[in-house]
Amino acid sequence: MMEEEEWSEEQQRFSYLQRLKAAVHYTVGCLCEEVASDKDMQFSKQTIAAISEVTFGQCENFAKDLEMFARHAKRSTINTEDVKLLARRSHSLLKYITEKNEDIAQLNLEKKAKKKKKLEDENRNSVESAEAGVEESEN
Amino acid sequence: GKRLTDMPSVPQELVSKLLHLHFKDKKTKGVFLYLSSPGITAEAAIRSVRQAQAEGLAHVDVEQLEKVLPQLLLDF
Repeated sequence: MMEEEEWSEEQQRFSYLQRLKAAVHYTVGCLCEEVASDKDMQFSKQTIAAISEVTFGQCENFAKDLEMFARHAKRSTINTEDVKLLARRSHSLLKYITEKNEDIAQLNLEKKAKKKKKLEDENRNSVESAEAGVEESEN
Repeated sequence: GKRLTDMPSVPQELVSKLLHLHFKDKKTKGVFLYLSSPGITAEAAIRSVRQAQAEGLAHVDVEQLEKVLPQLLLDF
């Protein structure tokens, strides 16, 4: 009886793994499609499957490293600093982080510019009405 | 080339599940902000394409990936 339960737990874990791998495979396929159409090339199914394997394998390395980094800092929650540490050797990840930060910075600049303009407009209106008031009182 | 942030990214939930699969401690958690990036997948794809192009092929097969894999794994 006990063995059967263990076996079905094994099966559940196995099918969970399969589902995750399938999800990765799908995402990798989409990404390869992008690259392929961009460069006017075609990927064989085996190549996509192989890249998918590599990706899945890298997740394991990432996970273990991240967990270790957090533990080293006496935390059980992984944060952005851990990810950045992980990225120190990964040129691609570093590039992605830089691009993301640029996008955020750009967005903030645009927000600030809008806010500044709004404030300036409001100031101009209030200054004009104040000047009008002063002129009147001088007279 | 194309910006990495323009490429399709891995859904956050999938990233989270994948990482949790390999955590030793059940208590480990986190927000894995940048990890949805195309990362090694895009790099593997792009390098394989370049290899195929260098060989004058219109099709990327496993042979091309095999040639770029060693350096790819070293770089990551």
